[in-house]
Amino acid sequence: MRSPIVRTAARAISPFLFLAGLYFATHGFLLPGGGFQGGVLLAAGALLILLTHGREKVIHLEEDIDWFETFGMVVFLGAGLAGIFFGGAFLYNMLPGTPVWCITLDIVIALKVFAGILALFIYLFGLEGVK
Amino acid sequence: MGMDKSWKRFFTLACVLIIIVLIATGLGLDHEDKEDSPVQGFLEENYEEMGADNLVESVLLDLRAYDTFGEVIILYIAIAGVIILGKEMKKANYEKEEVEGKDEGGDDG
Repeated sequence: MRSPIVRTAARAISPFLFLAGLYFATHGFLLPGGGFQGGVLLAAGALLILLTHGREKVIHLEEDIDWFETFGMVVFLGAGLAGIFFGGAFLYNMLPGTPVWCITLDIVIALKVFAGILALFIYLFGLEGVK
Repeated sequence: MGMDKSWKRFFTLACVLIIIVLIATGLGLDHEDKEDSPVQGFLEENYEEMGADNLVESVLLDLRAYDTFGEVIILYIAIAGVIILGKEMKKANYEKEEVEGKDEGGDDG
Protein backbone atom coordinates (compact mmCIF):
# COMPACT_ATOMS: atom_id res chain seq x y z
CA MET A 1 0.00 0.00 0.00
CA ARG A 2 2.84 2.40 0.80
CA SER A 3 5.18 1.54 -2.07
CA PRO A 4 6.79 4.52 -3.89
CA ILE A 5 4.97 3.65 -7.10
CA VAL A 6 1.56 3.84 -5.45
CA ARG A 7 2.45 7.03 -3.58
CA THR A 8 3.69 8.79 -6.72
CA ALA A 9 0.71 7.67 -8.78
CA ALA A 10 -1.69 8.85 -6.08
CA ARG A 11 0.04 12.24 -5.92
CA ALA A 12 -0.27 12.52 -9.71
CA ILE A 13 -3.91 11.46 -9.92
CA SER A 14 -5.29 13.31 -6.91
CA PRO A 15 -5.25 16.87 -8.42
CA PHE A 16 -7.12 15.66 -11.47
CA LEU A 17 -9.76 14.07 -9.25
CA PHE A 18 -10.15 17.41 -7.45
CA LEU A 19 -10.44 19.21 -10.79
CA ALA A 20 -13.01 16.74 -12.09
CA GLY A 21 -14.96 17.04 -8.86
CA LEU A 22 -15.06 20.83 -9.03
CA TYR A 23 -16.04 20.64 -12.70
CA PHE A 24 -18.89 18.22 -12.09
CA ALA A 25 -20.11 20.19 -9.09
CA THR A 26 -20.15 23.59 -10.81
CA HIS A 27 -21.43 22.40 -14.20
CA GLY A 28 -24.22 20.22 -12.88
CA PHE A 29 -26.86 22.45 -14.47
CA LEU A 30 -25.39 22.02 -17.97
CA LEU A 31 -23.89 18.55 -18.09
CA PRO A 32 -24.37 15.17 -16.46
CA GLY A 33 -23.12 15.25 -12.90
CA GLY A 34 -24.15 17.34 -9.95
CA GLY A 35 -23.47 18.00 -6.32
CA PHE A 36 -23.33 14.42 -5.07
CA GLN A 37 -21.08 13.16 -7.83
CA GLY A 38 -18.78 16.16 -7.61
CA GLY A 39 -18.54 15.86 -3.84
CA VAL A 40 -17.73 12.17 -4.02
CA LEU A 41 -14.98 12.85 -6.56
CA LEU A 42 -13.50 15.56 -4.30
CA ALA A 43 -13.58 13.13 -1.40
CA ALA A 44 -11.92 10.45 -3.56
CA GLY A 45 -9.04 12.83 -4.26
CA ALA A 46 -8.46 13.37 -0.56
CA LEU A 47 -8.97 9.69 0.23
CA LEU A 48 -6.21 8.68 -2.20
CA ILE A 49 -3.81 10.83 -0.20
CA LEU A 50 -5.20 9.43 3.07
CA LEU A 51 -4.75 5.83 1.96
CA THR A 52 -1.28 6.21 0.49
CA HIS A 53 0.39 8.85 2.65
CA GLY A 54 -1.16 7.93 5.96
CA ARG A 55 -3.76 9.54 8.13
CA GLU A 56 -1.47 12.33 9.36
CA LYS A 57 -1.62 14.14 6.00
CA VAL A 58 -5.36 14.59 6.23
CA ILE A 59 -5.97 14.65 9.98
CA HIS A 60 -5.52 18.41 10.25
CA LEU A 61 -8.73 18.75 8.22
CA GLU A 62 -10.64 16.95 10.97
CA GLU A 63 -12.02 20.09 12.64
CA ASP A 64 -12.66 21.87 9.32
CA ILE A 65 -14.73 19.11 7.78
CA ASP A 66 -17.02 19.02 10.79
CA TRP A 67 -17.71 22.68 10.09
CA PHE A 68 -18.10 22.12 6.33
CA GLU A 69 -20.69 19.47 7.07
CA THR A 70 -22.68 21.74 9.37
CA PHE A 71 -22.26 24.72 7.03
CA GLY A 72 -23.66 22.74 4.10
CA MET A 73 -26.61 21.53 6.14
CA VAL A 74 -27.39 25.02 7.46
CA VAL A 75 -27.17 26.66 4.01
CA PHE A 76 -29.40 24.02 2.45
CA LEU A 77 -31.92 24.39 5.25
CA GLY A 78 -31.68 28.21 5.06
CA ALA A 79 -32.30 28.16 1.31
CA GLY A 80 -35.33 25.96 1.89
CA LEU A 81 -36.69 28.21 4.63
CA ALA A 82 -36.04 31.35 2.56
CA GLY A 83 -38.28 29.79 -0.08
CA ILE A 84 -41.13 29.80 2.44
CA PHE A 85 -40.79 33.56 3.04
CA PHE A 86 -40.13 34.69 -0.54
CA GLY A 87 -41.91 32.12 -2.66
CA GLY A 88 -44.49 30.41 -0.51
CA ALA A 89 -43.14 26.86 -0.39
CA PHE A 90 -40.26 24.98 1.19
CA LEU A 91 -37.27 24.79 -1.20
CA TYR A 92 -39.01 27.14 -3.64
CA ASN A 93 -36.89 28.36 -6.56
CA MET A 94 -36.49 32.05 -5.69
CA LEU A 95 -34.70 33.20 -8.86
CA PRO A 96 -36.71 31.93 -11.83
CA GLY A 97 -35.07 32.13 -15.23
CA THR A 98 -31.50 31.90 -13.93
CA PRO A 99 -29.48 28.83 -12.97
CA VAL A 100 -28.37 30.46 -9.69
CA TRP A 101 -30.53 28.13 -7.61
CA CYS A 102 -29.06 25.03 -9.27
CA ILE A 103 -25.48 26.24 -9.00
CA THR A 104 -25.81 27.28 -5.35
CA LEU A 105 -27.41 24.04 -4.22
CA ASP A 106 -24.95 21.98 -6.27
CA ILE A 107 -21.94 23.65 -4.68
CA VAL A 108 -23.43 23.36 -1.19
CA ILE A 109 -24.25 19.68 -1.70
CA ALA A 110 -20.78 19.03 -3.13
CA LEU A 111 -19.11 20.65 -0.11
CA LYS A 112 -21.32 18.69 2.25
CA VAL A 113 -20.81 15.33 0.58
CA PHE A 114 -17.04 15.96 0.36
CA ALA A 115 -16.87 16.76 4.06
CA GLY A 116 -19.19 13.92 4.98
CA ILE A 117 -17.42 11.12 3.15
CA LEU A 118 -13.98 12.35 4.18
CA ALA A 119 -15.09 12.56 7.82
CA LEU A 120 -16.56 9.08 7.58
CA PHE A 121 -13.26 7.62 6.39
CA ILE A 122 -11.04 9.64 8.72
CA TYR A 123 -13.03 8.56 11.77
CA LEU A 124 -13.45 4.96 10.65
CA PHE A 125 -9.71 4.62 10.03
CA GLY A 126 -9.15 6.30 13.38
CA LEU A 127 -11.25 3.65 15.09
CA GLU A 128 -9.19 0.89 13.58
CA GLY A 129 -5.91 2.53 14.54
CA VAL A 130 -4.52 2.79 11.00
CA LYS A 131 -1.41 4.91 11.01
CA MET B 1 -25.48 -23.81 12.11
CA GLY B 2 -26.81 -25.25 8.91
CA MET B 3 -30.30 -24.62 7.71
CA ASP B 4 -32.79 -27.42 7.42
CA LYS B 5 -33.25 -28.80 3.89
CA SER B 6 -37.01 -28.29 3.91
CA TRP B 7 -36.49 -24.62 4.94
CA LYS B 8 -34.08 -24.14 2.06
CA ARG B 9 -36.64 -25.56 -0.34
CA PHE B 10 -39.32 -23.32 1.16
CA PHE B 11 -37.20 -20.18 0.75
CA THR B 12 -36.27 -21.05 -2.84
CA LEU B 13 -39.92 -21.56 -3.65
CA ALA B 14 -40.84 -18.27 -1.97
CA CYS B 15 -38.16 -16.39 -3.94
CA VAL B 16 -39.33 -17.85 -7.23
CA LEU B 17 -42.94 -16.97 -6.40
CA ILE B 18 -42.01 -13.38 -5.48
CA ILE B 19 -40.05 -12.98 -8.73
CA ILE B 20 -43.01 -14.28 -10.74
CA VAL B 21 -45.41 -11.92 -8.96
CA LEU B 22 -43.09 -8.93 -9.52
CA ILE B 23 -42.66 -9.67 -13.23
CA ALA B 24 -46.41 -10.14 -13.65
CA THR B 25 -47.04 -6.83 -11.86
CA GLY B 26 -44.54 -5.07 -14.10
CA LEU B 27 -46.16 -6.47 -17.21
CA GLY B 28 -49.58 -5.50 -15.93
CA LEU B 29 -48.74 -1.79 -15.56
CA ASP B 30 -50.17 0.47 -18.22
CA HIS B 31 -47.57 2.57 -20.00
CA GLU B 32 -49.92 5.17 -21.44
CA ASP B 33 -49.02 8.85 -21.25
CA LYS B 34 -50.65 10.47 -18.27
CA GLU B 35 -51.83 14.02 -18.88
CA ASP B 36 -52.25 14.82 -15.18
CA SER B 37 -48.80 13.66 -14.11
CA PRO B 38 -46.89 16.24 -12.02
CA VAL B 39 -43.84 15.72 -14.23
CA GLN B 40 -45.88 16.82 -17.23
CA GLY B 41 -46.81 20.06 -15.50
CA PHE B 42 -43.22 20.61 -14.43
CA LEU B 43 -41.95 20.17 -17.98
CA GLU B 44 -44.51 22.61 -19.37
CA GLU B 45 -44.33 25.35 -16.73
CA ASN B 46 -41.36 25.20 -14.37
CA TYR B 47 -38.60 23.71 -16.51
CA GLU B 48 -37.90 27.02 -18.27
CA GLU B 49 -37.79 28.87 -14.94
CA MET B 50 -34.98 26.71 -13.61
CA GLY B 51 -32.61 28.03 -16.31
CA ALA B 52 -30.79 24.71 -16.36
CA ASP B 53 -30.14 22.78 -19.54
CA ASN B 54 -29.80 19.55 -17.64
CA LEU B 55 -33.30 18.18 -17.21
CA VAL B 56 -32.29 15.63 -14.57
CA GLU B 57 -30.65 18.28 -12.42
CA SER B 58 -33.60 20.64 -12.65
CA VAL B 59 -35.99 17.86 -11.67
CA LEU B 60 -33.70 16.83 -8.82
CA LEU B 61 -33.44 20.34 -7.37
CA ASP B 62 -36.97 21.60 -8.03
CA LEU B 63 -39.59 18.92 -8.38
CA ARG B 64 -37.74 16.37 -6.23
CA ALA B 65 -35.95 18.83 -3.95
CA TYR B 66 -37.44 17.13 -0.89
CA ASP B 67 -35.83 13.89 -2.03
CA THR B 68 -32.42 15.56 -2.31
CA PHE B 69 -32.93 17.21 1.06
CA GLY B 70 -33.74 13.84 2.61
CA GLU B 71 -30.59 12.32 1.14
CA VAL B 72 -28.53 15.12 2.63
CA ILE B 73 -30.16 14.64 6.04
CA ILE B 74 -29.51 10.89 5.95
CA LEU B 75 -25.83 11.50 5.17
CA TYR B 76 -25.61 14.07 7.96
CA ILE B 77 -27.12 11.76 10.56
CA ALA B 78 -24.95 8.82 9.50
CA ILE B 79 -21.80 10.89 9.78
CA ALA B 80 -22.86 12.41 13.08
CA GLY B 81 -23.18 8.86 14.42
CA VAL B 82 -19.74 7.90 13.17
CA ILE B 83 -18.15 11.05 14.62
CA ILE B 84 -19.77 10.54 18.01
CA LEU B 85 -18.63 6.91 18.05
CA GLY B 86 -15.12 7.91 16.99
CA LYS B 87 -14.72 10.55 19.66
CA GLU B 88 -16.07 8.29 22.38
CA MET B 89 -13.76 5.43 21.40
CA LYS B 90 -10.77 7.77 21.18
CA LYS B 91 -11.54 9.01 24.68
CA ALA B 92 -11.95 5.47 25.98
CA ASN B 93 -8.64 4.40 24.42
CA TYR B 94 -6.92 7.43 25.91
CA GLU B 95 -8.27 6.68 29.39
CA LYS B 96 -7.28 3.02 29.09
CA GLU B 97 -3.75 3.98 28.09
CA GLU B 98 -3.56 6.41 30.97
CA VAL B 99 -4.59 3.72 33.43
CA GLU B 100 -2.14 1.19 32.03
CA GLY B 101 0.64 3.77 31.87
CA LYS B 102 1.57 3.09 28.26
CA ASP B 103 3.46 5.75 26.33
CA GLU B 104 3.29 4.21 22.86
CA GLY B 105 0.54 5.04 20.35
CA GLY B 106 -2.30 7.54 20.44
CA ASP B 107 -0.20 10.40 19.09
CA ASP B 108 -2.62 11.47 16.37
CA GLY B 109 -5.05 14.28 16.81
